[in-house]
Amino acid sequence: MRRTIPYRYGVILLMAALALPACQEVIDIELDTTYRRLVVFGTVTTDSLHHQVRLSTTSDYFSNQPAPAVSDALVELKMGETVLRLEELDSVPGLYQTPVAFRGKPLTRYHLHISQVDVDNDGIFESYEAETTMPVTPMLDSIRLVYFQTPFFSGYQVFMFAMDSPEREWYGFKIWKNSDLLTDELSDYRVQSDDFVNGKYIYGLPVGFLTDSDPRQTLLPGDTVTLELNSIGEDFFDFISDAQLEIMGNNPLFSGPSANVHSNIGNNGIGIFTAYSLRSVSVIVRP
Amino acid sequence: MTVRGNHQAWFFSIILFFLAAAGHGKVSVSGYVRDAATGEALIGANVVILESGTGTITNTYGFYSLTLDPGFYSLVFSYVGYLTETRPVNLGTDLALHVALEESYLELQEVTVTAESSNSNITRVETGSTQLPIQSIKKIPALLGEVDVIKAIQLLPGVQVTSEGSSGFSVRGGARDQNLILLDEAPVYNASHLLGFFSVFNNDAIKDVKLYKGDIPASSGGRLASLLDIRMKDGNNHKLSATGGIGTISSRLTLEGPVFSEKASFLLSGRRTYADIFLPLAKDTAVRDNSLYFFDLNAKLNYTINDRNRLFLSGYFGKDVFANDFAGMYFGNRTFSLRWNHLFSKKLFSNFTLINSHYFYDLGTPQGEIPYFNWISFLDDYGFRGDFTWYLRPEHTIRYGVSSFFHVIKPGSIVAKDQDGNETKSALSGNYSLENGVYFSGESKLGNRLAVRYGLRYSFFHNIGDAQVFTYNDDYEVIDSTYYARGEFYHFHHGLEPRLSANILINEKSSVKASYSRTRQYMQMASNSSAGTPLDVWFSASPNIRPQLSDQVTLGYFRNYLDNRIETSLEVYYKKMNHAIDFRDHAQLLLNPRLEGELRIGDATSYGAEFFVKYETRRFAGWVSYTYSRAIRDISGINDGKPYPAPYDKPHDVAVVFSYDISDRFAFASNWIYSTGIPFTMPTGRYEILGNILPLYTGRNEYRLPDYHRLDLSLTIKGRKKPEKRWSGEWNFSVYNAYARKNVWTISFVQDELHPDQTYAEMTYLFSIIPAITYNFRF
Repeated sequence: MRRTIPYRYGVILLMAALALPACQEVIDIELDTTYRRLVVFGTVTTDSLHHQVRLSTTSDYFSNQPAPAVSDALVELKMGETVLRLEELDSVPGLYQTPVAFRGKPLTRYHLHISQVDVDNDGIFESYEAETTMPVTPMLDSIRLVYFQTPFFSGYQVFMFAMDSPEREWYGFKIWKNSDLLTDELSDYRVQSDDFVNGKYIYGLPVGFLTDSDPRQTLLPGDTVTLELNSIGEDFFDFISDAQLEIMGNNPLFSGPSANVHSNIGNNGIGIFTAYSLRSVSVIVRP
Repeated sequence: MTVRGNHQAWFFSIILFFLAAAGHGKVSVSGYVRDAATGEALIGANVVILESGTGTITNTYGFYSLTLDPGFYSLVFSYVGYLTETRPVNLGTDLALHVALEESYLELQEVTVTAESSNSNITRVETGSTQLPIQSIKKIPALLGEVDVIKAIQLLPGVQVTSEGSSGFSVRGGARDQNLILLDEAPVYNASHLLGFFSVFNNDAIKDVKLYKGDIPASSGGRLASLLDIRMKDGNNHKLSATGGIGTISSRLTLEGPVFSEKASFLLSGRRTYADIFLPLAKDTAVRDNSLYFFDLNAKLNYTINDRNRLFLSGYFGKDVFANDFAGMYFGNRTFSLRWNHLFSKKLFSNFTLINSHYFYDLGTPQGEIPYFNWISFLDDYGFRGDFTWYLRPEHTIRYGVSSFFHVIKPGSIVAKDQDGNETKSALSGNYSLENGVYFSGESKLGNRLAVRYGLRYSFFHNIGDAQVFTYNDDYEVIDSTYYARGEFYHFHHGLEPRLSANILINEKSSVKASYSRTRQYMQMASNSSAGTPLDVWFSASPNIRPQLSDQVTLGYFRNYLDNRIETSLEVYYKKMNHAIDFRDHAQLLLNPRLEGELRIGDATSYGAEFFVKYETRRFAGWVSYTYSRAIRDISGINDGKPYPAPYDKPHDVAVVFSYDISDRFAFASNWIYSTGIPFTMPTGRYEILGNILPLYTGRNEYRLPDYHRLDLSLTIKGRKKPEKRWSGEWNFSVYNAYARKNVWTISFVQDELHPDQTYAEMTYLFSIIPAITYNFRF
C-alpha cells in the first residue's frame, strides 16, 4: 500500500537542489543478459474508442534497438459473457485493438488472455492472463489555476476540487492544454492514493504544474486547460509509481535499491493491463 | 511474580550475600582522577596497586574505588598523554584520594618523562571496543576541514561507512539504525548535518568517545550492532578559557570555566556554518533569498555539592535550515540529560539520570502564505535510568541498574490550506511505547591470567495507545484494524540478553579474548536508502513486528610489541540476526499509514575478521586496519526469497591513518582508505512502454560499484609559543581526496533523449579534490 504525497517531488527536488552538487559522467559497464519475457501494455477506459493492447518483448539492456514487437498473437478481451478478439494493426506490428469502439463500464471485470506466442523460442506456445476491475467514475467538481513565481520556477499550479468516496481509491491526473496532452510521458503522469483525503471533500489538491520554461506548457489568455481525472486501480497505481522511480534513477539519499516494476501479467509476463474510468473538467485561462 | 521469578531473586540474593561477605574487614581508597589544568574527569584512567599488579580504571565520571586489606600500598595513576603519578598510602580506614594528572608535553630536544605506554588493550576484558582519544580525532584530515567523531570511527576495523560523505555507519554488517549513539547518556537519533556530510558532534565539546562493536555492556540495550558512547567535557573548573576555529564551512567557539568557584563549571560550545551570510551579496535573486545553514550548541553545567554528590546538566541543540521565500525544510535534534552522582559509600557509586531526546523535521511553505502546506514529524524519548557500581574488591566489580524510556513517535502531520483558506488536516497514527531494562553484570579477575565479564539484561517492551493497528494477511494487505485508546497497554515483548566475555592473559604482551552477546532491538528506522535523509522516521516493535534479535560470538588474539608501542590484534566474529527487517521493492516509507505492510522480515548473517595494528611514538602515531567481512540477508519476499548481500557488504576494507610531528610547530597527517564497492542492483534487460525504456532486473545487489579509495592529507602549523600570551593559534591545511579519484556514488541507467532507443550508464561522483583551510585558536 503506497501513497504519493502532493509535494513529494517538490520536496525531493528542493533537497536535491540544495544538497551539495555532484558530477556525472558516462561510463562503460558490462551487464549480464537474461531470457526474453513478454511485455504487455493494455488499457480499457470509459472513453468510446478502440481499446488497445501492445505486445513486445524484453531485450538486452544495451541492445539499443527498438523493442521487438510480438505479432500474430491471439489476444482476447473478455468482459462478462462477451469475448472480443483484438486485431493487430498492419501499420503498427505488436499493437492490437478491439474491432469495435465501446465504452468501458465501471465495476466491470476485464480479463485479458494472450496466447499463440513463443517468446522464449522453444517451439512451444505460451499463454498469459491478466485481470482488472474498472473502478467507479470519480466525482470531479472543478479545477482552478493559480500562478506562482518562485526563485526556481514559475508557472500555473493546477488545483483540483472533488469529492472522494469512502472506498480506498487511486487517482491519475492527465492535463491537456487545448487539445494537446501535456502529460503524455510516463514520467509526467501523476498518480496518488486517497489515504489522506479518503471520504472527504478535496479542497484544492495540487495535481499538476505547467511551467513557463517549457513553451509547450506556457499558458496564454484564452487557452483551455483540461484536467482528466482517472480513477485507476491499485495495480496501475503501483505500476506507474514503480516505473517513475526507475525512470528517476537511483539516488542513495532518497531511494531504495532498484527493483522491477510491478506487473499484473501472469506467467512471468511484464507490464500492465488496466481499466480505469475518467471524468474531465476544463477552465479557460483569463487575461 | 511467578515461582520461577522467586527462584531467580533468591539466587541473586545469595550471590550478593557471598560477595558482600568477601568484602568484610577491608578498607577502601577511592576518589576522582582529573586533569590538573582543567579539572576534567579522566575516563578510563588506570589505577594500579604496584605491589599486586591489580587495580581498576576510572568510570565515566573519573571515579575509582579499591577495596583492600589494611596496609601500605603504592597506587600508580596513569592515563595516556599524561604523566604518571605514584601515591603511597597507608590504609587503615577508608580513604578519599583525589589525583590530578599533568598532561605530558612532547619535547624533541630534551628527555621528558612521559606516561608509560599502556597495555590496556591486552588486559581489558571487553572485546571489540575502541576508545578514541579526542586528540587523535583532531589530527585526522576531514572533508572541508570539519573534524568529526563519526568520520573518525568509520576508519576503525569493523566499521563501514554507508555512503560517501555520510554520517551513517555500519558495524559488523549491522544496519545504520542498529547503533545506539549516546551523548551524555541521551540517545541521538539522527546524527547528521547537511544531509549527513557532517555529524552533529562538535569535537571541541567532546571529551571521550568509546565504540563497542557488539560486546555491548549489559547496562545498555535496544540496538543490535554497537554502542557509541560520547561524553561531553565538564568544563574547565580552574579558569575561564576559550577555544575556537574558523574553517572553510563553519566557525565554532567554545567557552568554559568555573562558576563562582571550582565547585561548579560550565561549558558552552557553538558552531555555525556561515556561507549563507554571503548569499545576500549575490546578484541573482534566486540565490540571494536562500537560507542554507546549520548550527549546533552544546551546553553543560556541573556542580559538586559535596564529596558524595555531584550534579550534571547537559544539553545539545542543533538545527539544519534549507529555506527560501517559497519553501523551507528544517530538521534537528535536541538532547537533555540531568545526572546525579551519589556515593552511597566509598565502594558503591551510583548515577541517576533523567533524559529527553527530541528529533524533528518540518517542511513546507511559509506560515501565513496561501495556499499553505506544512508537514511535521518528530520523535521524543523521555527516560530515566539508575546505575550502581559496587567496587567489591580490585578483582570484582558489580554493576546493576534499571532504565525506562517512553518513546513518542509522531511520524507525520500535515496541514494544507487552499487558495480560499479552507484547511485540511491529516495525521498518521502516533506510536507510543515503553522500553525498559534491568541488568546485573560483573567483572572478575580469576587468578593472574583469567578475567571475565558477565552480565544479564532483561528487557521488556510495551506498546501503548492511542494507536490504530492494522492486521495484515499473508500478502501484506490490510484486512482489519484495531484501535487502542490512549494509555491502553496492548502488546508486550520481552527477553533476556546474556553478555559474556573472557580474557586469557598469556603474558604481559598478549592475550586471547572471547565473547558472546545477545541484543534486542525494539525501535528501528524506516529507511531503505543507503545514505539516509532527514526524513527518515522510526517505528517500534508491535503486534505485527517482533523485536530484532542478534547473537554474536567473537574470538580475538591481542599482541603488543616494543614496550606496548605497537598494538596488534586479530579478531574474528560471527553474528546471526533474527527477525531482521528490510523493505519490499519500491517501498513507500514517507507518510504511509500502512508502513508495516512495507516491511519484510527474515534473517541476516554477518561474519568477518578484523586485523588492527597501531603504532605510537613521541612523534608518530597511527594505525592500519584491515577487515574482511560479509553481510548477507535472507528475507522472504525479497530477491525471490534468495539470500542477497546487505547494502553494507564490503568484503575488503582498509584504513591507513597516521600523523607525524615534524617539529614542535609542524605536524603532518594522512588517511588512505580503500573498500570494495558496495552491492548494487543493475539491469540485465530492458523493455519499452509508452516510449519509456524501463530496466529489467534479475536480482537485488547482484553487482558492485567500482572499488572505493581515496587519500586525505593535512598539515598543521602552530603559532610560535609565547609564554606571556594566553592566545595560541594554529593553521590547518587539508586536502580531501588528494589524487582526485572519482569514486562512484551511484550509477544511473539513462535513456538518451535524442535517440530514445539508446541507453547508457552514467556514474555520479560527489567529490573531486577538495582543499580546506581552518584556523584554530585557544585562550
